Amino acid sequence: MKKEFYSELMRRLMAITIALLLGSFASYAQTTSIQGVVKAEEDGQPIPGVTVLVKGTQRGTVTNLDGEFSIQASPGETLVISFIGYAMQEVNLQEGQNNLDISLSSSMSDLSEVVVVGYGSQLKREITGSVQSVSGTDLMDIPTPQLTQKLQGRLAGVQINQTTGRPGQGMNVRIRGQVSVSAGSDPLYVVDGFPITGDISVLNPDEIEDITVLKDAASTSLYGSRAANGVVLITTKKGKAGETNVSFNMYTGFQKVPMQGRLEMMDAVEFAQFKKEYFEDAGMPVPAMFQNPSQYEGQTQDWYDALLQTAPISNYNLTITSNTAKSRTSIVAGLFDQNGVVLNTDYKRFSIRLNTDYDISDKVRVGFNVAPSYVFDNTPRTDGERGQGILFNALHTWPNMPIYDEAGELTLFNRFPAETGNIFAYPNWVRSAQEIINETKQTNILTNGFVEYSPIEGLVFKSTLNAEIRSSNYLFFNPSTATRFINRPIPTVAESIRDNIEDFSWLNENLVTYTKSFSDHNFELLGGYTNQHFRRSRTRIQADTYSDDRLPTIQGAININRGGSFSDVQEWALTSLLSRLNYNYQGKYLLTASVRADGSSRFGSENRWGVFPSISAGWVLSDEGFLNTNEQISFTKIRASYGVTGNNNIGNYTQYALINNTINHVFDNEVVPGAAVTSLSNSFLGWETTRQFDIGLDLGLFDDRIQFVYDFYTKNTTNLLYNVQIPQESGFGSFNDNIGEIKFWGHEFSINTRNTTGALKWTTNANISFNRNRVLALAEGIDRVYGRFHITQVGQPFGMFYGLNKLGNYMNEEDLANSPQVPGRSTVGSIKLEDINGDGIITIGGDNDDRTIIGNPFPDFTYGIVNNFQYKKWDMSIVGSGSYGNELIMRHLYSTANLDGVFNMVRRAKDRFRSPENPGDGFFGTTVGGGNVTGIERDWMNSNFVADASFFSIKNVTLGYNAGALTKFIKSARFYASIQNLYVFTNYWGGSNPETSVQPDGQGDGGNLSQGVDLPSYPIPRTITFGVNVNF
Amino acid sequence: MKKINILIVMIGIMFSSCDDFLSIVPETALSTATFFKQEADFQQAVNAAYAPQRNIVNDRAWLLSEMRSDNTIYARNILFGATEQQEDLSDHALPEADGITSNVHVLNQYRLDYLIISRTNQILDQIDNVQFDEQSKNNIKGQALFLRAYSYYELVRYFQSVPLHLTPVQTRSEAALPLAPENEIYARIIEDAQQAITLLPNRSQQELGRVTSGSARMLLADVYITQKKWIEAETLLAEIVNSNQYQLIANYADVFSESVSNKNNLESLYEIQFLEGAAGMAGNFLYNFMPRPITPQELQPITGTSNPEPLDGQGNNIPTPDIIAAYEDGDLRKDASIAYVELSQSFRVDKSYPYIKKYAKEHSLHGNHGMNWPVYRYAETLLFLAEALNEQGKTGEAAAYLNQVRTRAGLPNTTASSQGDMREAIFKERRVELAFENKRWFDITRTDRVQEIIGQFGARALANPQEYYYPAGATFRPNAFTNITKYYALPAAESEITPHF
Repeated sequence: MKKEFYSELMRRLMAITIALLLGSFASYAQTTSIQGVVKAEEDGQPIPGVTVLVKGTQRGTVTNLDGEFSIQASPGETLVISFIGYAMQEVNLQEGQNNLDISLSSSMSDLSEVVVVGYGSQLKREITGSVQSVSGTDLMDIPTPQLTQKLQGRLAGVQINQTTGRPGQGMNVRIRGQVSVSAGSDPLYVVDGFPITGDISVLNPDEIEDITVLKDAASTSLYGSRAANGVVLITTKKGKAGETNVSFNMYTGFQKVPMQGRLEMMDAVEFAQFKKEYFEDAGMPVPAMFQNPSQYEGQTQDWYDALLQTAPISNYNLTITSNTAKSRTSIVAGLFDQNGVVLNTDYKRFSIRLNTDYDISDKVRVGFNVAPSYVFDNTPRTDGERGQGILFNALHTWPNMPIYDEAGELTLFNRFPAETGNIFAYPNWVRSAQEIINETKQTNILTNGFVEYSPIEGLVFKSTLNAEIRSSNYLFFNPSTATRFINRPIPTVAESIRDNIEDFSWLNENLVTYTKSFSDHNFELLGGYTNQHFRRSRTRIQADTYSDDRLPTIQGAININRGGSFSDVQEWALTSLLSRLNYNYQGKYLLTASVRADGSSRFGSENRWGVFPSISAGWVLSDEGFLNTNEQISFTKIRASYGVTGNNNIGNYTQYALINNTINHVFDNEVVPGAAVTSLSNSFLGWETTRQFDIGLDLGLFDDRIQFVYDFYTKNTTNLLYNVQIPQESGFGSFNDNIGEIKFWGHEFSINTRNTTGALKWTTNANISFNRNRVLALAEGIDRVYGRFHITQVGQPFGMFYGLNKLGNYMNEEDLANSPQVPGRSTVGSIKLEDINGDGIITIGGDNDDRTIIGNPFPDFTYGIVNNFQYKKWDMSIVGSGSYGNELIMRHLYSTANLDGVFNMVRRAKDRFRSPENPGDGFFGTTVGGGNVTGIERDWMNSNFVADASFFSIKNVTLGYNAGALTKFIKSARFYASIQNLYVFTNYWGGSNPETSVQPDGQGDGGNLSQGVDLPSYPIPRTITFGVNVNF
Repeated sequence: MKKINILIVMIGIMFSSCDDFLSIVPETALSTATFFKQEADFQQAVNAAYAPQRNIVNDRAWLLSEMRSDNTIYARNILFGATEQQEDLSDHALPEADGITSNVHVLNQYRLDYLIISRTNQILDQIDNVQFDEQSKNNIKGQALFLRAYSYYELVRYFQSVPLHLTPVQTRSEAALPLAPENEIYARIIEDAQQAITLLPNRSQQELGRVTSGSARMLLADVYITQKKWIEAETLLAEIVNSNQYQLIANYADVFSESVSNKNNLESLYEIQFLEGAAGMAGNFLYNFMPRPITPQELQPITGTSNPEPLDGQGNNIPTPDIIAAYEDGDLRKDASIAYVELSQSFRVDKSYPYIKKYAKEHSLHGNHGMNWPVYRYAETLLFLAEALNEQGKTGEAAAYLNQVRTRAGLPNTTASSQGDMREAIFKERRVELAFENKRWFDITRTDRVQEIIGQFGARALANPQEYYYPAGATFRPNAFTNITKYYALPAAESEITPHF
């Protein structure tokens, strides 16, 4: 059946393509070749790279180095000539006019810029939604491999956090504070019109021409059931001005983990002192090892630092673009090579992109893009809980345990006699980092082809076929000489995991646009029909017990772990219809309406189609004569939009009741197959719906020297996908349903100013955003959903930190006697918690729960500021981003401040409670009484764990020198030096990264229900690079 | 115009089979649309219904029953910081409010029993819709009914009153039911077990390891004994004895299965099946029962594995001085049931700890063994029969059955002659014969002696913590033995999401 479907599909695609090609020969409009030259008004110099478009068509070109262009157009058509920094000009072609001399006047405004929007492009001044774009050239100097890292601090309403320093990973992007219970919250990335299904981090950022972020529903709703988290449109480099343009960009440098912000642990002397006091306070004999702490002076073994290194980083890119009368081509070849700051980290990316398009006739254009890339990544398992990530393990390994033995060899593992209180053996983490293989090799091919046919003026058919192919091979090998677990003796059982993933996604889009203007009415109509299909097949094999560590093959293993080995197929399909109308009157009254209908294989059979409409309007007030009286105000536009979008990240087969046929049993030593229904079906399951209203103001002052944009939005997400917990007396844990409602609202301000325009040019680009949310409803009968240390509760913001509220420590017997206690556990000096329900005792969980909201992971506001300076041949830019009022859970304290002295401890534990006379700083309680007492403080989530994580981070400072034309062959050259992650201003003390959020297994950021948990993660290095950009 | 026609045709083609394109069923998993269609499906379904029993006896049942009784205790390692929820069970210090407890073991036992109930409900609901061999169908139905009855029997003895699910849950609204009264649950258990007796083949005709009509009779007799229906119990037990399908194994130590051999032997009416190796069917309860911290050198002689690893944390299910003292002099079962190990890392002066010996059988790899867990064995049939007879005043007849068990243990015949003495003799015999087989707690509860026996046991332990494995100077927590109850409170995690409790 599947096969039939594919052949059927291919047949139809062929039919469409042939129809378009045939149609192209039936041309009847007469066009002629128009020549022209574009010059700057002020100095008469030719301007290369100017866009020349025939209005209402897809026909366009750009000027060459001498400012010349040639284009097919007919009398009566209008040419639109635009270039950044100049006022847009329109030329109405007259009969016989085929040699044009155009001069553009400079403008401070970028309003004449053409901005890529969903399924098309629009003049910035005519946009009625909330969009923001960034040019690829602005990002070039930032020495990071991922696009999203480069965008930090630049976008209003978009919070971009780097949750871990693992190369190629860890970027958490949230547009307008979007959260979801269990569907994903990442925006949709669309590369050259193709909503990709893979990971955006593999894209070489140097291939990018520009990026547009679509924020409000009117801008995103054409992406229908995938648009609720916002959309990031990425346009890659196309052929540009000049016959041939060759440029080479590179940077190289090194990365280092700054001392600033590292979690402060006890040194060997302090730890021995702590242990000594521990035994003394407990009335137990002090083990010989700790009787004289000062013997460890200068003997501290810094296990964390031992895992770090100063590491090189380099990036090379060669870009070739060419543009002839009939074709445009660009090639970008890149190599990125980074050794990470944790031992044995190696990250490389090779990429090539070829974008090309041809005018087959003046009515038909075809294009092909192909972009293969290869990513190699070997990074130790650094992040997450104790035992999952080696950084956590290393942080609290006893500082008197030797890293090297007397012969200078790395120790195998360390264990002291039981009477020292050392109940765990500590393997050597340096070995863990160096000897465990944890590598992923990824090959990606992103490719598109299109045919565009314009039979008559203003009417364009476009058919595209896109494909994304990805193959990812993961190999984990843990030899018998190393482990990432505490207390696993060496030699251990060697283990391997192979996880191979093959993805194939294709998309066919068939679009028609019709543009028409009469008198002052301008229309653009879009219609489309698209199909996308995705298939992933995955094979995972886990094996253990190797006879020889040198052969991590499958056949080398004695045992195949059946539980960890499986094959799996994931598949989805999406069929969509879309249409849009853009209308404006005199470019002054603007209106856009659109609708998309999505049918998805993920939705239940009773709920297969979703419809996502939107409408938006704008009014350019400054074009009104009656308002255009104030000389200072150069531009004013107000706009409003409303629309519906969806989130279909609900899993591929969530609607079905599945049978697990691996619940085997055994009878008299014979395994027999077993099967059971393990989930409940829901044929009504659907997408999450977000309705969003946006109102905005665009203001230009002093000839647009100051540009100001303000947006207010409010949105409601309903039908959240949630695996509703049901009583397990049913035999099932949960039921997949669409429930609840969350309200979001926020304000976004951004301002661009040209502060000085003389010899020193100084521009500032600043933004600040306030995002809020509140849960309005959950499922019937459910008013709360728990995360790890979190609660999502009706009437409160999403995913708040939940636990007991610490009042202090019991200061003395009297305090203890007069305060609510944990029966049988509280003692003098132990943690004193608030008795929220007033029943006289402290309880966690159950009906007498004393837990309450103890923190908020969401910032009050986030902000970013970019300053650019230019003085003669020098340029400089400073990028900063910050967040205020967000809190983190310092989760690792349960172990890095284990008062039983099981692990090394944070330095602050020196100031713990020791006696009523010596109560310390009040943060940590007494060690006396062992786990029965100290376990409350450590195991019961309480407000001690929560800390403010507001920060302002200087992300990047770059200083450049423009050497101009160096030789006959080098048209221009620029040299620069850049520092990434220069400094973080923060009071957060629980770790070095206030942007962090880590899941226990160290793979991912914890999701919305459990965000803001700090577990030790790959440090984000300070990177110092030197670079050069050369144009030939 | 022609172009518009082409367009219309094109769009027409495109839409004609949208539904096919959008119907994607999981390729690598079965769904309800394709299951419960043939005999093999039901066979697999009933196999899966047994599976949670492995988890129950490996991880939970001994915590809620044996370690709750005076037979075993939680041996605290004071260097180990964490306070474990097992300790709350052993110490009778469960946090409880309004009939709800947050103890995770109580929760998991509850959930595992309902997992079996749900799986058997699915089978019983669907099986009559499919035509296949009647004998095979009866066998599957009988097994499902036994498993459902046994699960409810566990639940009713732990909680007294629980929801009674008898049909599969299909939607969210059916998930929660009100608590059913105890007698209603018992009535259903009896009905299921009676049906199971008629549907199941006997031991000689059943695949070894599966439940039989004998298992079902024993279950029903157990229920009747708990309900003090002595006559009904006697009838069933006599049927088992007279079936001649079971007998006592001569040597007590040989009653219990090895890791790979001696499984489902002639004394076994039902045992929960394990398999050593990588198939995921192995147990590790022996490790759960080890005193800690124990080094590989100390552990290896007990387990005989090639790769012993140290065990940290705290010891569970450690035999109490009380059970050790309960064996009469010369009782062969004592050394077969209990042995000792020296823990060099212990903080006690006396570093010798008892451990449960009857399951300590050699196996290949650390933490992976195949010993089966005894549920019902013939020795208990005899003791039940003795009890049923004695309670009807047939004390002399009872003595004969009791003495069969004592003789095997190397002990002289019982001296009890009055009904009261005989009652006590059987009660004591059950304790030592069935020690560590999760019987003691239910003997205490069904005879309503919880406050008496556990109260005295607690007093002894609190008065002398060093005897109960605390190092010098350390003792029980202040709340130990402050919450001695016959039934467990219901689990908090379930209480939070059901409207009924």
